[in-house]
Amino acid sequence: MEIAASEYADNTAYDELLEPGLSPRPAAKPLFDYLNSLDQAELAARRQAVDATIKAMGITFTVYSEAGNIDRAWPFDPIPRVMARTEWERIQAGLKQRLTALNLFINDLYNEQHIVKDGVFPLEVLAGSGNFRPQCVGVTPRFGVWAHISGTDLVRDRDGTVYVLEDNLRVPSGVSYMLENRQIMKRIFPEVFRTTHILPVDDYPIQLFETLAALSPRPGEHPVIAVLTPGIYNSAYFEHSYLAQQMGAYLVEGSDLIVGSDNVVYMKSISGLQRVDVIYRRIDDGFLDPEVFRPDSALGVRGLMRAWKSGKVGIANAPGAGVADDKVVYAYVPQIIRYYLDQDPILANVPSYLCMLDEQREHVLANLDKLVVKPANESGGYGMLIGPRATAEERAQFAELIRANPRNYMAQPTLDISTAPTLVDGQLAPRHLDLRPFVLQSDRLYATTGGLTRVALNKGSLVVNSSQGGGSKDTWIVQEEDS
Amino acid sequence: MLARAAEKLYWMARNLERAENTARLINSTTHVLLDLPLGASFGWTNLLEIVGLDDLFHQHYSQADEEAIMRFLIEDARNPGSILSCVQYARENTRTLREILPAEIWERTNGMYLYIKENATIACRSRRNRYMVLDNIIEQRHAIVGLISGTMGHDLAYQLVKLGRNIERADMTTRILDIGSAVRFPQDGVLHETLMERIWMSTLNSLSAYQNYRRLVNMHVRRNDVVNFLLCDDRLPRSVVHCLGEMESCLRLMPQSQQLQMSVTELSHRITQGHAERLDAPALHEYMDWLQTELGRINDALTQRYFHAYDNGMPPPASDQAEIEFAEQ
Repeated sequence: MEIAASEYADNTAYDELLEPGLSPRPAAKPLFDYLNSLDQAELAARRQAVDATIKAMGITFTVYSEAGNIDRAWPFDPIPRVMARTEWERIQAGLKQRLTALNLFINDLYNEQHIVKDGVFPLEVLAGSGNFRPQCVGVTPRFGVWAHISGTDLVRDRDGTVYVLEDNLRVPSGVSYMLENRQIMKRIFPEVFRTTHILPVDDYPIQLFETLAALSPRPGEHPVIAVLTPGIYNSAYFEHSYLAQQMGAYLVEGSDLIVGSDNVVYMKSISGLQRVDVIYRRIDDGFLDPEVFRPDSALGVRGLMRAWKSGKVGIANAPGAGVADDKVVYAYVPQIIRYYLDQDPILANVPSYLCMLDEQREHVLANLDKLVVKPANESGGYGMLIGPRATAEERAQFAELIRANPRNYMAQPTLDISTAPTLVDGQLAPRHLDLRPFVLQSDRLYATTGGLTRVALNKGSLVVNSSQGGGSKDTWIVQEEDS
Repeated sequence: MLARAAEKLYWMARNLERAENTARLINSTTHVLLDLPLGASFGWTNLLEIVGLDDLFHQHYSQADEEAIMRFLIEDARNPGSILSCVQYARENTRTLREILPAEIWERTNGMYLYIKENATIACRSRRNRYMVLDNIIEQRHAIVGLISGTMGHDLAYQLVKLGRNIERADMTTRILDIGSAVRFPQDGVLHETLMERIWMSTLNSLSAYQNYRRLVNMHVRRNDVVNFLLCDDRLPRSVVHCLGEMESCLRLMPQSQQLQMSVTELSHRITQGHAERLDAPALHEYMDWLQTELGRINDALTQRYFHAYDNGMPPPASDQAEIEFAEQ
């Protein structure tokens, strides 16, 4: 196993597995001992086996721009990302703290709005939020929880600090790949699981099932759970069917459901109409119910909001939960945690400048070449400006966009996000990555062990989204031998 | 069980069965060819008529030679009945049914698709490759059927798979029975008789029924016995009556299926009492057409009852059905 030393010599970022002298960090040592035992030919053979396995298992994702091509093999790097259990446990506590506070915040926003009245959160931020749903005002879902499933994006900066980059509270995807990545590793590198104590990840489906089951309006009975998908052409369709299979739930499309005059949601089964208790929806708010939101939506179910508001069906994530998944709201999360929990945030927020505030906007406009500017309501890396990499013309265009709609933009310093060794042409080369753990909340609070590591496979690239050329790695939380 | 998913399951099973049957039909036809005496010829276009694809073929091909017909039947995406199309269709359906089917079934179907996609072209190039590739397809399909019966819960979904498999199988048996009409004979009475025996033998072979026939019916291959065996003998898993019996037992476990059960039972009775073996060749051909139409009617009734029951408005909730649904999970 050879390390691409010259690429590492140019790497200024923190490396997850290697110390500056290119010796493995303690948690990664057993992995490197193992990798060093494989010769080049052996490694190449495993690499091929990985590709064949992915093809045979049919692990795919969709790229929107490739019309007609429904599935593409999932790009996977066989070198895992390793983290020590002690470090992970602190992050896990931070994730749980963050989701708890955000759910209290969402419930407050749709009800009394104490946080606004107490002057901690400005009303104008709320007024400008594209994801605030007036149709949800006055509703308190079970347990007061709105975002039952979140997928938080974490990155590590040059000094080793882990930052929260985004709270994905709408329909975060990727957890199926986290589970499948582990399956691939077990098939191709079974030996290493004997020499390293790698914590398992496979309790997620049962935890998700229990999280959803707790939302059933008919407690005590075996709940009928349905995963609502936009259909086979959605980029995450693989995940929708995977999760339905893992939970023994029904995979439904909008046209499979009907809301009766009794406000109960029914599924069109071959035995007649059958009641549905909980819907894990994987379509955006705007498409959920043509009666309330977009009238032209063919993906949703007419009357679904009526059913939810009258307590006849549980919906996860609750409609309107996306209000806290907004890059301007993001800047307030540390205050939100202090306000509701009276605790200091465990996980750091990236310093953020809000363009709606005059002073901060001027700072952003004056430093566009140093900052990353993001639109408030987009996800998946779309519509953002990476200042240092943009042309002067692009920056000038973006300055106009910011001035025209300051509420819609926020800016952050560019982080030198961390790398990990990735197999490139038979060598280990540094590639940038992030980490998306998944957190569940209803009657319980649960965080995955690790999460989905996404890696930018192109040299120097910071874009990890699978829709834009990213791949993924298995994520190992390991018990260190001496602890 | 969702009505939409039920329809996909049913068609997944039909398509996999069809892919296997087409592979069998081609392989056994090739065997007949090798036995044909000089002067006799095989009408490849008749084979297309038997499977009901002659019009479609002529839309796309100007010359009906062996290679063109093989390409059309094995790998042509424009033919929905080609082996590649059937397997691709089944694979797409399996992909959307992963919450119902055991994971290995998806992997196997996916593997079968990848195999045929890679090997279809060499299969069309020579008879030797063709035999090997088609044989592999039959084998892979058997692995899937084995997985279905050995690992899938025997719930409503399972009954739908079985229904699809058996209705397709019955339909193909009626078509394969027609194969004799595809051979053109030289004017020689004696040769004609031995040749006919060969052809009926091949018919039995393509349905893996020759050994059964010898054991259960007769050492000599006689036309009337073969027709009767393939239509009416309940001991043969590919006889029409056996397939209908399987469908009947599936339907008995399906909700609100009395009407459908009756149609299937009635058709089975008519076949048993019809004595089709006494018909002459043209009449037998017409009889097969009639049978195919009847099977089509059962397919339509099934579709209406289970898959498209909601197309015309919303039926009342069936609360007493809830327990059946739980039992099937």
